[in-house]
Amino acid sequence: MSLFDPLVLLLIAAGLYMAWNIGANDLANAMGTSVGSGALSIKQVIIIAGFFEFAGAVLFGKRVTSTIAKGIIPVDSISLVDPHLVAIGMLAAILAAGFWITLATFYNLPVSTTHSIVGAVLGFGLMAAYYGIIGFEEIKWAVLGKIVGSWLVSPLLGALFAYLIFSLIRYFILQKADDPYNVEKKFVILQTMTACYIAFAHGSNDVANAIGPLYAGLHSLEMAGLAIPLWVMALGGIGMVIGLATWGYRVIETIGTRITELTPTRGFSAEFATASVVVLHSYSSLPISTTHTLVGSVIGVGLAGGLAAVDLSVIGKIVVSWVVTVPAAALTSALIFAGLMGVGF
Amino acid sequence: MIKKEYIRSVLNIFASSPFKPLVMHANKGGDCVRKLNESIMAYCDGNMEIVEELSSQIDVIEHEADVIKQTIRSELSSSIMLPVHTDDLLNFLKPQDSISDDAQDVAFWLTLRKFEGPDEIRNGFRELMAKTLATVEMYEELVSTLGELLETSFSKRDVEDTLQFVTKVEEMEHQVDVIEKDLVKQIFRNEDKIGAVGVYHLARLVRGIGDIADKSEHAADRLRTMVLRR
Repeated sequence: MSLFDPLVLLLIAAGLYMAWNIGANDLANAMGTSVGSGALSIKQVIIIAGFFEFAGAVLFGKRVTSTIAKGIIPVDSISLVDPHLVAIGMLAAILAAGFWITLATFYNLPVSTTHSIVGAVLGFGLMAAYYGIIGFEEIKWAVLGKIVGSWLVSPLLGALFAYLIFSLIRYFILQKADDPYNVEKKFVILQTMTACYIAFAHGSNDVANAIGPLYAGLHSLEMAGLAIPLWVMALGGIGMVIGLATWGYRVIETIGTRITELTPTRGFSAEFATASVVVLHSYSSLPISTTHTLVGSVIGVGLAGGLAAVDLSVIGKIVVSWVVTVPAAALTSALIFAGLMGVGF
Repeated sequence: MIKKEYIRSVLNIFASSPFKPLVMHANKGGDCVRKLNESIMAYCDGNMEIVEELSSQIDVIEHEADVIKQTIRSELSSSIMLPVHTDDLLNFLKPQDSISDDAQDVAFWLTLRKFEGPDEIRNGFRELMAKTLATVEMYEELVSTLGELLETSFSKRDVEDTLQFVTKVEEMEHQVDVIEKDLVKQIFRNEDKIGAVGVYHLARLVRGIGDIADKSEHAADRLRTMVLRR
């Protein structure tokens, strides 16, 4: 199959759109805290984020990408029936997730791209099962259960890590310092490092949301082998960096000017915890939401007495977004898949 | 710019801190008492026009303090997590708010009647007011240590520093009490010179000024509870 086949081009375009979305919103979200604490200027953040996000995606993004591509639904079984089905289904999944994210963005809902893409891929699988292409039991429910479990665990783990890190900083450094404001100045350098770390972590986990389905489609069309080609990983990385540079900087700016409570010691604790949790999950091949983990970490710093005021009502909103996003993205994806089949793609 | 708002999930976790407005609110109370001090000086000099003018100025500042208090209260919904107990914070806000209320009350009572009495009472008022103002200003210093406390997230040393300020406010309030009792006695001793209404008026003023110091001490005490009971 040629690279210039309309189906392939559509897949790549949809994947790039997803990557752009992730860079413009999720990555910007993760990086905004560094600007908020005054550790870095917006320009510096974009350069750092661009470089390390790309590095994270290309060097460490393969495990989660595999999970999204073939961990949730049995793409190989579908491919045996017709390789095109996988490409069409994955196109439907990216379109559904992209549509859902755009809609959520429009209505200011705290929806995660990770949750959307997992729901969308599941929707494709369910529709395939409905058509009798695969059996319902062939969908990897155990993996799906693990993924959903990790969504619950990751913010909690972020909160725990951040609590411990900030408590240590507080006990060993802040409370012994003569001038706490001087300590904050020294933490600016450390926070520059965690900004790199969090960009790397984000790239390693979230690149999969864009290129997981893309890779699955290309693989079934025999345009990609068993190993994910470098150009596909790079495509995801570039897409996210472009998203950050063309739109994300505004998001960073907004966050930066509104988060003033997060001083370098607090920002360091929250970011280090978040990045560690995300990298851990990338290593375990589990797709999680960086933003939700970051929220958990900020709460952890708050629980350790590090923040003047934390609004816990966000937890409720996040839980609602979990419950709504997966079925909504799954339904949309299933409908788009059915529609594309109907058109006779 | 709708897309900008997509960051809600991270941004909304940060509620606005009640501590900065708390310090502002304490300073509004201090401003009222500083104006009241000017007013007492003018009153003792028999300059009633200035007393009237200052009374309306204090009304304005007291209202500003009320607005800050209302903002703090309205932003502390049940989902807000603070490094201290929310109840403790609200409990200390209440007496702090009374500082400006009581100053406003005294400023109004000053406008009602010209000072008529011997110089020793005049001097007594000046002394009482000076000590009360010093107490309130010490209280303002105490509240301003909250910033440092938050920065180190309540290090032992900073907590001790803050508690020392509490003790100082309490000591000064006690001194105000002593002056207050002496002055009331003096006023009653001069009943024949001042007249019954005069005695009532001056005694009411003394109690009003003493109340201001009382409220500072009360607020300082509640602040101690807030810092210790975290």
